[in-house]
Amino acid sequence: MRVKGSQDLAAGLMFVLVGALAIRIGADYPVGSWQRPGTGVLPLILAWCLIGVGAILTIKGMILHGPSLLEGQWAWRPVIMVTLAGIAFALLVDEGGLVAAMVVSMAICALGTPETRWKEFGYFTVIMCVVAVIMFIKGLGMPIKVFPWN
Amino acid sequence: MELSDLFSNLALGFSVAATPGNLFWCLMGALVGTAIGVLPGVGPVATMALLLPTTYYLPPEGALIMLAGIYYGAQYGGSTTAILINLPGESSSVVTVLDGYQMAKQGRAGAALAIAAIGSFFAGCVATVAIAVAAPPLTKVAQQFAPADYCSLMVLGLVFAIVLARGSVVKALGMVFLGMLLGLVGTDVNTGNLRYTFGISDLFDGIGFVPLVMGLFGMAEIMANMTNTERRDLVTSKVTGLMPTWEDLKTSAMSVLRGTILGGFLGILPGGGAVLASFSSYTLEKKLAKDPSRFGKGAIEGVAGPESANNAAAQTSFIPMLTLGIPSNAVMAMMIGGMMIHGIVPGPQVMTERPGLFWGMIASMWLGNLMLIVLNLPMIGLWVRMLMVPYRLMSIAILFFCCIGVYSLNNSANEVLFIAVFGILGYFFFKLDCEPAPLLLGFILGPLLEVYMRRAMLLSRGDAMVFIERPLSLSFLILAAILLTIVLLPNIRKAREVAFVE
Amino acid sequence: MRRRHLIGAAGVTILGTGTARAQAQNWPDRPVKLIVPYAPGGASDLMARPWSEKLSQAFGQQFVIENRGGAGGMIGTEAAAKSPPDGYTLFFAPGATLSVLPILRKTPYDPVKSFSPIARVGDLVCGFVINPAVGPKTLHEVIAYAKQNPGKLAYGSAGLGTSSQLRIEMLKHRAKVDILHVPYRGSADALNDLLPNTVQMMNEINVLPHVKAGKLTLLNINYPTRHPDFPDAPTLTELGFPDSDVQIWYSMQAPAGTPRAIVDKLSAKMNEIAASEDMKARMRGINVVVPIQTPEQVAQHLVADIKATAELIRDANIRLE
Repeated sequence: MRVKGSQDLAAGLMFVLVGALAIRIGADYPVGSWQRPGTGVLPLILAWCLIGVGAILTIKGMILHGPSLLEGQWAWRPVIMVTLAGIAFALLVDEGGLVAAMVVSMAICALGTPETRWKEFGYFTVIMCVVAVIMFIKGLGMPIKVFPWN
Repeated sequence: MELSDLFSNLALGFSVAATPGNLFWCLMGALVGTAIGVLPGVGPVATMALLLPTTYYLPPEGALIMLAGIYYGAQYGGSTTAILINLPGESSSVVTVLDGYQMAKQGRAGAALAIAAIGSFFAGCVATVAIAVAAPPLTKVAQQFAPADYCSLMVLGLVFAIVLARGSVVKALGMVFLGMLLGLVGTDVNTGNLRYTFGISDLFDGIGFVPLVMGLFGMAEIMANMTNTERRDLVTSKVTGLMPTWEDLKTSAMSVLRGTILGGFLGILPGGGAVLASFSSYTLEKKLAKDPSRFGKGAIEGVAGPESANNAAAQTSFIPMLTLGIPSNAVMAMMIGGMMIHGIVPGPQVMTERPGLFWGMIASMWLGNLMLIVLNLPMIGLWVRMLMVPYRLMSIAILFFCCIGVYSLNNSANEVLFIAVFGILGYFFFKLDCEPAPLLLGFILGPLLEVYMRRAMLLSRGDAMVFIERPLSLSFLILAAILLTIVLLPNIRKAREVAFVE
Repeated sequence: MRRRHLIGAAGVTILGTGTARAQAQNWPDRPVKLIVPYAPGGASDLMARPWSEKLSQAFGQQFVIENRGGAGGMIGTEAAAKSPPDGYTLFFAPGATLSVLPILRKTPYDPVKSFSPIARVGDLVCGFVINPAVGPKTLHEVIAYAKQNPGKLAYGSAGLGTSSQLRIEMLKHRAKVDILHVPYRGSADALNDLLPNTVQMMNEINVLPHVKAGKLTLLNINYPTRHPDFPDAPTLTELGFPDSDVQIWYSMQAPAGTPRAIVDKLSAKMNEIAASEDMKARMRGINVVVPIQTPEQVAQHLVADIKATAELIRDANIRLE
């Protein structure tokens, strides 16, 4: 069977999956009584609604013409780089200080696009670091180290 | 209230609000508020909490005026990032991204920013008058709402969240449900049970609104734009003037008026009313427009209405606090905190025992709005100029602000990890053409709906019919059902056609 | 050899006590932190501010309030318990964090062993209110109504496990009536439903301005003495329910191990402040009464409170569901 609208199909499957997982994980949540609806009531209702919507979308994806999932490009490079940049910031900021976290994360992010001009990046980053230290550490008084050795 | 009474009260109010000291505090509040509204992450509640202890050293009127300034200053500032970089600063600006960002992409960022400021100012003026004239009767209206009514109102709000989707309604429905489920992650306050936390202690208090927004909107946006020059064909080359045209103003006029009235009423409802203001207005405008297909593609009414609504709601949400001492939201709770720090016990007696404070606050609201529009309009040129920064640099700046914004909330690096995860999720949604706005609205309303649902069932002693027996609740549910049908009908018809053809 | 050791030991002891006394004499020579275990702007701040002001005046050093909210007060309490016992960190202790929380859940501190009590800082004086729309005007009438209509009356509390809930459970237990307990998210949230009669009863200080405005009926006072602003509201004891108050009380505590000399010095000054007319008037304005007690008496009060609370929680089967 040819899938006619893979985008819808994928979205539908995603909803069904999340709904099913929600039911599975939340199976033990107490449902309480009519007067005292418990922890599990709304999650259960929502999970079934998700499965319902997902099912409709999956069917729609299979029989109706729709956009293809593979249409357009998947921006793998930016996705990976931006994610790594965020992770880098998180890992560095406490021990390494704000400047280190900023420089590393911004550099990783800049690697995400071929448009980056490194000299320009250098100037920009320096300015951003100065502004950030003034605004956040001196101005707002946030308790972050500026440099790893502070 | 007699007209002469009104005048003498307002005169008293202005005499208090317009002292050099209090004007200064008003300005300070407005400035700080705008700044934090623009900065993604830190919001008015966090800022007020930070500044609350220092307000102790100010006179009570000055302290409260400044705190209030921070609040509505943040409303003005939050729409700026929403329009310019598709990043809502506050829950009230989630709807502004829908058309505001599209307008920016069409070179009309200036017009969008301006109409947001103008609409907010108009709404602020009207709301101030409403408070001055009708605070007590409006409070009585709000008192008619019982938990069952609030629950049904939340359901109506969720339907609005679906209606405002520009793409597939079914997908929007799924996103709303998904958002609601995400909103339930964390500790169930009524029982102390943990839901969907997987043992991660950072999730015990639930997923934070800010990390979610930063990830879904901020990170995902730069992922989508970095190498896709077509998509981000931004303002850089075609800024068509900084101000809205007469055409724009004419089109927006009624939206501003409607938004003001809608927001004004919703703001009075303690506990979740103001949240609905912006997207109820958006839904209203979309339904009333002659050509609804323009919405989601840069319709100026989609900015004018919601921005007016949320500013009107922000002001009227002071009413329950001023007349009864009941805070409608976390910000009002801060204001009450500000009062308590000065030994002022909030309650119905504040209006009569401290009229200078009461009317002074009302007068300063108007003055604050005036200051904000004077501050914000000239800055539009500056903001638009910033858009000209090449994207290869803009993206790393946005990345940084997202990270620091989230980190600054709780000094928690773990939350920054969350935005990395939400970023990937957000990109995924983008590729699947699932809009994040309905998800966010579900995320906000879901937990509220659960609180009210449980309270309603507890009070009705387990009788689910209460939702249909109470007239307010019934009207909301009927309205929700009608709207939902209108929105789903074309889809059902399409499906039937396909079935027949095949 | 031994003698030198003994002399050495004696010398250290004398020097040590001398140091402690010197410490106490100099204390405080820099600002003192007062930890309040709730977010800023709450009802505790109303009480903490006058104290921080008066103590700063009395000792010539700043007594600074530090708000550390979270987990129902547990976070701030833990922080206070683990602070250095040098007299420069004090704990503005709500009774609930010491008497209620440790019983309902496992706390990272021991309410008696982790702290040195210093003095009482205030008791909130309020009582049950009922919305006049229901009909009954006195507590006995309400109880009679409740007996005839079991489960019909609803009571709004500030949340599960709060003193607010404990008070209604105590009343239900002693008067043997069935009243529906509805937990809210804070007293303001509950007040919002009390005014339109969605729930009928509450017991918090934020309702008192509405009683003064005539919108709500005050039935009694949960305190050994009557409230000066409401002279007609009888105490629970007068109404035939002794030992049923579930007091909402605050005390000043120091981390365990704080030098005795500092504790005594502070306690004496605090009781002096509490007895002053100015403080009494300020506290009355926020519905607070400050009993005068020595540190030992505060310790005894705490132990008794823990015992009574444990009994109530057990008898009324209160759980965090």
